[in-house]
Amino acid sequence: MKRIGLIFIFFLSFYLRGSTQENLYTVLSIPEELKQQANAVVRLNEMNVDLKSSSKMEVSVKRIITVFNKQGERNIDAYVNYDKGLGVNSLEAKIYDAFGKEIKKIKKKDFVDQSAVDGGTLYSDARVKYLDYTAISYPYTVEVTYETVTKNTAFIPWFYPLDAYYLSIQKSIYRLNNPTGINIRFKELNCEDFNIKRGENITDYQYAVEHLKAIKPEDHSPLLSEMAPKVMFAASTFTLEGVEGYVENWNDFGKWMYRDLIDGNQSLPESTITEISALVQNETQVLEKAKKIYEYVQNKTRYISVQVGIGGWKPYEASEVDKLSYGDCKALTNYTMALLDAVGIESNYTVVFSGSNKKDIQPDFASIQGNHVILSIPGEEETTWLECTSQKTPFGFIGDFTDDRDVLVITPEGGQIKHTKQYTTQENTQTTKSTSHILSDGGLEVSLEMVSKGIQYNRKYFLEAETSRDIDKHYKNRWDYINNVTIEEYNIENDKSTIAFNESVKFKATNYGNIVGDRMLVALNTINRNTYVPDRYRNRKLPLKINRGYKDVDEIEIQLPEGYNIEALPNNEVLTNKFGSYTLQIEKKDEKTLVYRRELIVNNGEFPKEDYKKFRDFYKTVAKLDNAKMALIKE
Amino acid sequence: MKNIICSIVLLISINSFSQNFKFGKVNEEELKEKLHPIDSSANAAYLYKYRRTYFTYNENDGFVLVTDIHDRIKIYNQEGFDYATKTINRFVDGGTKETIVGLKAYTYNLVNGKVDDIKLKSSGVFENEISKYTKQTKFTMPDVKEGCVIEYKYELRSPFVYNIDEFELQAEIPIKKLVALFEAPEYYNYKSNIKGYLKAIPTKESRSASISFTNKTRTDGGGGLYPTTTQFSQSKVDYQVNISKYDLNNIPALNDEPYVNNINNYRSAVKYELSYRKLPNTTLKYYTTSWEDVITTIYRSENFGGQLNKLNYFKDDIDAMLSGVTDPVQKASMIYNHVKQNVKWNGYYGKYTEVGVKKAYKDHVGNVAEINLMLTAMLRYAGLNANPVLVSTRNNGVPLFPTREGYNYVISAIELPDAVILLDATSKYSSFNLLPYRTLNWKGRIIRENESTTTVNLYPRIKAKTTTFMNATLSEDGEITGKIRNMKTNHDAMSFREAYINRNLDEYIEDLENRYGGIEISEFQVTNDLDLSKPVMVNYNFEAEEQFESIGDKLFISPMFFFTIDENPFKLESREFPVDFGYPSSSKYSINIAIPEGYKVESIPEKVAIQLPDNLGAFKYNIIANETTIQLVVDVDINTSVIAPNYYKSLKEYFKLLVEKEKEKVVLTKA
Repeated sequence: MKRIGLIFIFFLSFYLRGSTQENLYTVLSIPEELKQQANAVVRLNEMNVDLKSSSKMEVSVKRIITVFNKQGERNIDAYVNYDKGLGVNSLEAKIYDAFGKEIKKIKKKDFVDQSAVDGGTLYSDARVKYLDYTAISYPYTVEVTYETVTKNTAFIPWFYPLDAYYLSIQKSIYRLNNPTGINIRFKELNCEDFNIKRGENITDYQYAVEHLKAIKPEDHSPLLSEMAPKVMFAASTFTLEGVEGYVENWNDFGKWMYRDLIDGNQSLPESTITEISALVQNETQVLEKAKKIYEYVQNKTRYISVQVGIGGWKPYEASEVDKLSYGDCKALTNYTMALLDAVGIESNYTVVFSGSNKKDIQPDFASIQGNHVILSIPGEEETTWLECTSQKTPFGFIGDFTDDRDVLVITPEGGQIKHTKQYTTQENTQTTKSTSHILSDGGLEVSLEMVSKGIQYNRKYFLEAETSRDIDKHYKNRWDYINNVTIEEYNIENDKSTIAFNESVKFKATNYGNIVGDRMLVALNTINRNTYVPDRYRNRKLPLKINRGYKDVDEIEIQLPEGYNIEALPNNEVLTNKFGSYTLQIEKKDEKTLVYRRELIVNNGEFPKEDYKKFRDFYKTVAKLDNAKMALIKE
Repeated sequence: MKNIICSIVLLISINSFSQNFKFGKVNEEELKEKLHPIDSSANAAYLYKYRRTYFTYNENDGFVLVTDIHDRIKIYNQEGFDYATKTINRFVDGGTKETIVGLKAYTYNLVNGKVDDIKLKSSGVFENEISKYTKQTKFTMPDVKEGCVIEYKYELRSPFVYNIDEFELQAEIPIKKLVALFEAPEYYNYKSNIKGYLKAIPTKESRSASISFTNKTRTDGGGGLYPTTTQFSQSKVDYQVNISKYDLNNIPALNDEPYVNNINNYRSAVKYELSYRKLPNTTLKYYTTSWEDVITTIYRSENFGGQLNKLNYFKDDIDAMLSGVTDPVQKASMIYNHVKQNVKWNGYYGKYTEVGVKKAYKDHVGNVAEINLMLTAMLRYAGLNANPVLVSTRNNGVPLFPTREGYNYVISAIELPDAVILLDATSKYSSFNLLPYRTLNWKGRIIRENESTTTVNLYPRIKAKTTTFMNATLSEDGEITGKIRNMKTNHDAMSFREAYINRNLDEYIEDLENRYGGIEISEFQVTNDLDLSKPVMVNYNFEAEEQFESIGDKLFISPMFFFTIDENPFKLESREFPVDFGYPSSSKYSINIAIPEGYKVESIPEKVAIQLPDNLGAFKYNIIANETTIQLVVDVDINTSVIAPNYYKSLKEYFKLLVEKEKEKVVLTKA
């Protein structure tokens, strides 16, 4: 009895606050601190999820948001994505002026309804209904309400109140009703940091939060999704486009995905099997064979996005890809897997979040996650990862698109979380040797050889396919701190076997040396100056995160102009700190020749926000030292 | 002699062999070609680009426009794979729509020395709905490899006979052979407008055609005694079809360049626009042939001129607002502000109204036409000589010829005896003769009530001016501190207002600090930001570190500090298209520097004045120094909105000298 009373009281307070009739439509009732740095304030976001059965889920949403300016309009979120499996039962929006007076009502039929296909996709059956409203004046408030019903229970909406920068939250409530008895799994992330309130009973699945202040984005910080509070949900028994699943953990998930989405799609025509068998017959090593097949796929196929119904989740048949020679990431990965299988090499379909911001598949929470698929070949020492949608990347090179993150590897035995290859600071090198002539009229003539590896390879190999006009432009931008550059000659070699990008370039520039009376000022670093200084923040709020480290090594033989002698040289320097290191060494080879040596190392890592200033200072010092000049004086 | 004939015959035969453009007749040579013979940088090329647009007649729909397309594309490398995906937009208006018939497509590869073809299946063709008015048919070719040739043909049937898509005679990749035919029945007279540098002239011919009608006559049997009979009779009408044919070879690719306002302005293309229609047994109906016709058609449209005559919806408001006001300029100003404040632009362009001025006024939201036609009507109502001005926006290209579609936007003009005031009420921060950037594109066309018309230059004559005063003290450790004052007028003020007003102040300041290399700003103050009649004034204090280089015992400073332009914006060696700045501008810097104690000025850069030819622009650098202070005055003027490509070399050289000069150093030594 006591217990019941307690719950009752809790509920009362929980809901009363939710429904207190404070006016959420007028700007006047917004707490001052929520206006700071905010383009919009969510006054109330109330989401109710009703899991009716493993194949029916209803979601109702009420969202009241006050918008302060044009940028804030992107947070209104007055749209519903739908497709054949998801119906929109009701949809309505109301607009209120600053004082909370209703000025417009938009009914479901007045929402714009169109295909949600993007330009890069050949076809998608996704559709969207969205509100097309022009602000008459700011601020104003929008209330959106809608109800949807879907047969897909694989995606139970999460509680994710703070999903954008410059957005503050006055109140957000989430409720998942589950009368079905289906087991619900959930995972709370960052909830303590943001004072998220939970319903008394853990199985009530009720969450609420109030007064989340807007966050401003800052350079070199973790992703908002890594920092923001979030509660993930998944039903252990669910349906995806008519396919049932039962999943408690990643192992189950992998089994389900393998059995219901992947297995049986690997058939290949006999002729292709014969062809690839012949292709690899002289290779003895597994990876050598795999490489031949990978290159075969690269030459044969190209990436085209097609998203239809379950096709959005299920790869196309391998034989279909064989015929059409194109496919999306799932189809091309599955095709490569089928080819490898045909020559007896095991490989696994692998689900990943792609993008240079390393986003993990949540390792301890099994649900449909990820936005991309790659292939992995297990090895005794290390796994080889293959990006199957690119015609250009070398075998085993995944670059910053899918490196260094947790991914889900699907095997017939089940799913497994693995970590993809990390490109370390020591691997991401750029090594340059150059001869630079300073002419007596201040002109500069440079020839250089540059070798880039790891992530630095990643950032350059696209050049191979550029037109000479664009390469000319690229080089002029690379050396943009030198005025009047003319690229005389270049030669580019993409060495896929060692994964190295080799460039040799000759360029010249006029008036490089700054002639001041009898003196000439010459910056010694002619070829690789760091001019980047991270932005300054008056009050850094977010932690510092450097995603990838790198190492640059430069050696320049500088030949001095006729008729000039050295008056002053910069000092040698050695700097070391937790962010990296920098050394600068100048050596007089003879009267007319200097050797300039430079090494810059930037480490990856995560640091507290207090370190940001020191980090910036490091870059600032490097930029300054890279600009160090010698003074020459007329003989 | 024999030999010569022989070789001629050979040549002809080679020619005819390599130029079989019948669908499916792709030959080995085409597949073997590794690089485009003329443009080796091409990733793909049209081997053949064919289009025929003609009319057919059927009794249900009347004349229907049919366009036959047949493209054969060579793909040289992976970068050219994009050309293996084809997107066809189809216009839909309610039940009336464009349809695609008879799509056939093949990919050809050379397999073991033989031509191997693979057909595009219908399952590989997709339909997407882009908007209410646009459907999209999209397909990508199977089995695309480097070196392959793809080929497709289809027929696009359109009921919209007035709207004939532009014939593009140039593409982003080279075209080896292009054939384009336009065939119009004598009843429709089209005017052709050609643009771009190709200057293609069509050959003209004609053929005869005929339409068969089935006439139905019912004969009443008379009192029910005889059965009713229906008699069919055939009749035939003969008419002439006028054909224009373009047959072009080796058309180079169209390359985009930076600072071009719209590359389509320079694409070689022909546009056909209906000028009149004369169907049998009907009267002549004119569409367009001259600017006057264009104007008449637009002006007489209910969604344009019709909107100017509606007065009732605003009468009371305007009467109340203007009561007691007599000065016409003040009236204009009040009306202009009234529209700006009460009707917000929904972001849609258009010379025609969408929901009408009345509803727009009531809902406080409208498109360009609703806002500016409403403005014009109100100005007229208040007794001002106001008229709409048709505009082609920067992204719509330049209207070189009399076409209805050439203009996509409308603003308003008040014609005074000695001046014209241009107004656009869609932009919050625009004012009299200060139009938003999107409209700054060549000439607009004023249409008066009597339908007379004249052009008006849209590029501003008045310069956008930014004046910067800086008072700085340099300390021995390389820090400068001081005050900066900015004054901005016209478009410089407008872009400042767009970036500043309604923006988070901290964020704005932080951006400004970082734009100037991480200086620290305090006491930031803006005046006149909301008073559009005055220049914007910006005042702040600043601190900046490491503003000199110390070499030996000397200090070297760039006297423009963080205002130095240290990079030439023009990097290409040559250029084919004009450089379009949008508006003329002038920046002036006036900088006073107090040098650290214990130092004296050893040398200063030389004064200099650089001119662009024909007074297009000028750069002046004036510097003087005494023992303790340096005074610098720099003027940068661009006197015109657009600079023709023949001046490109001079412009590039001008910026090179400007950058070099601004980077020059003042040298300080110990006193």
